[in-house]
Amino acid sequence: MRARRHAIWCAALLAACGGSSAPPPATEVTAARRTSLAEDPAAAEWAPLPEFRAALLLQDMVEPRLLKASTPDVRVRAMTDGRQVAFRLEWPDATKNDLPGTGRFSDACAVQVPAANEPDVPAPQMGEPGRPVEISYWRAFWQATVDGRPDTIKALFPGAAIDHYPFDAPALAAGSPEQQAMAKRYAPARALDNAMAGPRASPVQDLVAEGPSTLRPAPTQRSRGTGVRTAMGWAIVLVRPLPEGVSGRTRGQVAFAVWDGEGQEAGARKMRTGWIPFAVEEGR
Amino acid sequence: MARVHNWQIGRDMSYWYPEARPTRQFAAVFDTNKCISCQTCTVACKTTWTSGKGQEYMLWNNVESKPYGFYPLAWDLKLLEKLGPQAWTPDGAYEGRTLFEAAEAGERVLGWRPEDLDYAHPNVGEDDCAGGSIATGADLQLPHDKWFFYLARICNHCTYPGCLASCPRASIYKRPEDGIVLIDQERCRGYQECVKACPYKKVFYNPMTGTSEKCIACFPKFEQGLQPQCFVNCIGKIRFAGHVSTPAEAREDNPIDYLVHVRKVALPLYPQWGLEPNVYYVPPIHVPRPFLRQMFGPRLDAAIETYRGAVDDPDLAGLFCLFGSTERVVPRWKRTGDTVIGLEEDGTEIVRVPLREPVFIRNAFDAAHGVVRTNTP
Repeated sequence: MRARRHAIWCAALLAACGGSSAPPPATEVTAARRTSLAEDPAAAEWAPLPEFRAALLLQDMVEPRLLKASTPDVRVRAMTDGRQVAFRLEWPDATKNDLPGTGRFSDACAVQVPAANEPDVPAPQMGEPGRPVEISYWRAFWQATVDGRPDTIKALFPGAAIDHYPFDAPALAAGSPEQQAMAKRYAPARALDNAMAGPRASPVQDLVAEGPSTLRPAPTQRSRGTGVRTAMGWAIVLVRPLPEGVSGRTRGQVAFAVWDGEGQEAGARKMRTGWIPFAVEEGR
Repeated sequence: MARVHNWQIGRDMSYWYPEARPTRQFAAVFDTNKCISCQTCTVACKTTWTSGKGQEYMLWNNVESKPYGFYPLAWDLKLLEKLGPQAWTPDGAYEGRTLFEAAEAGERVLGWRPEDLDYAHPNVGEDDCAGGSIATGADLQLPHDKWFFYLARICNHCTYPGCLASCPRASIYKRPEDGIVLIDQERCRGYQECVKACPYKKVFYNPMTGTSEKCIACFPKFEQGLQPQCFVNCIGKIRFAGHVSTPAEAREDNPIDYLVHVRKVALPLYPQWGLEPNVYYVPPIHVPRPFLRQMFGPRLDAAIETYRGAVDDPDLAGLFCLFGSTERVVPRWKRTGDTVIGLEEDGTEIVRVPLREPVFIRNAFDAAHGVVRTNTP
């Protein structure tokens, strides 16, 4: 027993002294300073950056809860140009879920920061009344649209046969204001400018929340991003303004969430983190 | 969870929100004995509301042939199996668990979520109940095979909606003025919790807009005192729309109250689920009772006996004559001799119908002209 303890101690010491070539695991998310941001998840600029492996927790605090753990963790890298910050999220996901339908759910992820960078942070479960959080939300459904999937039912169900849509009547010139207005009458969510309703030009949506059930679109769209499939799952880059008050000396907080469409995860049914310290690399 | 009263199950129960009944509650009575499954209601709804992209598969109104017709597939059987056997007391109180009380860990409502293919064949199986065996040429040998009936279905605009309880965003609301249950299309984020929670499967996910949609009881018409499209287009005149009261506030001159509370001839669909649905059915008179008791609850036998007696009951028979007689919602009614009169709330007459339609018989031979009449126009 004593010899075994000794071996473990030596291994730990070697690791601490840099005996291994791998960098020590990051204990916080640190945004490296760069003059320009790499917005392609596959860009080489991401490889040398420190990686924070964020363990994901079940959202099992409010109904509807997720009771069966799915995505174990998300690997995070970050860089900033001083004005904006780019987060690269990568997680394992054996199935690509980007096709909407009944009983079909989208793969998705989100980055959350407190709206105000204060020492006393709001609850990580989407903030608190009067203490909002800002959320940048990426969705595979939307990424597929941005990548060129047509806004037609046949793109979702190739075998679908459609007789006629009233707004495709020959009397209405295709693309005319009258035709588009009529098409909206048959799509109430689009008529009301629900950002979910598409067809979307961006796979990312800015949201604000002050606790569970309070999620709402942010007044302005400030985030952008791109998601790609990797050999192991998804890699996403989300770019948003650098949270105010976060600098080389002052840390902020960040939280992440991942939805596995295959597991019918949506809304509150998700894997998420608590707050994670978020730093910006000292100026150079 | 709050404690609320559900008169259909004769007891208090748990619900996600406190009891908040609307000022008036939209309600309907469907007489299943008159339905011929022509699907005119289905088409009326379809052409009015669901002609858009992503709505191709949606039937906010459908008619299915029981016991084997479904839309979506096995919608009620799957839930009955999931809930398991439950019991009523002899005096009509429900001893079992409602869907809210039986909710699994992490859920607000006991439910299941259909998949695309479950909607792909509306009413598949409708022709499999005509009887006979495989040996005599039938396609299938089924446990019950000598009966069927048509069940027309819309959203029940429940007093305790499962969809509303399940929505984590509170995107679903029940209008205080008429109890119609709607999904806020601006707020919905398409989580499909409502699709899973609605036991009647009358909430549908629109894959093109990313939101869920449902029957709206034609509220733009209902607000103007008009009955919904599926009601006024019903060829069999099986439907009547109006308002239902609680039992304590029931009025004999309210047509819906009269059928539901006074004569108790119209029953809620699967009352044991606990949603207090507001579409009431006159049950079919020729279907095995155990099947119907499971579907309509313990007051079934009395309802059928009352309905059978309508032939000698001018008030009950008369009120059924008002079905399909006007596009207007009829808040009050009365019978005077052989005439049944539909009235506005202030007593203004809306419609007048005879208790028995006059019959004119033309002889096949026209003696005056010496010719045989034909029906050729």
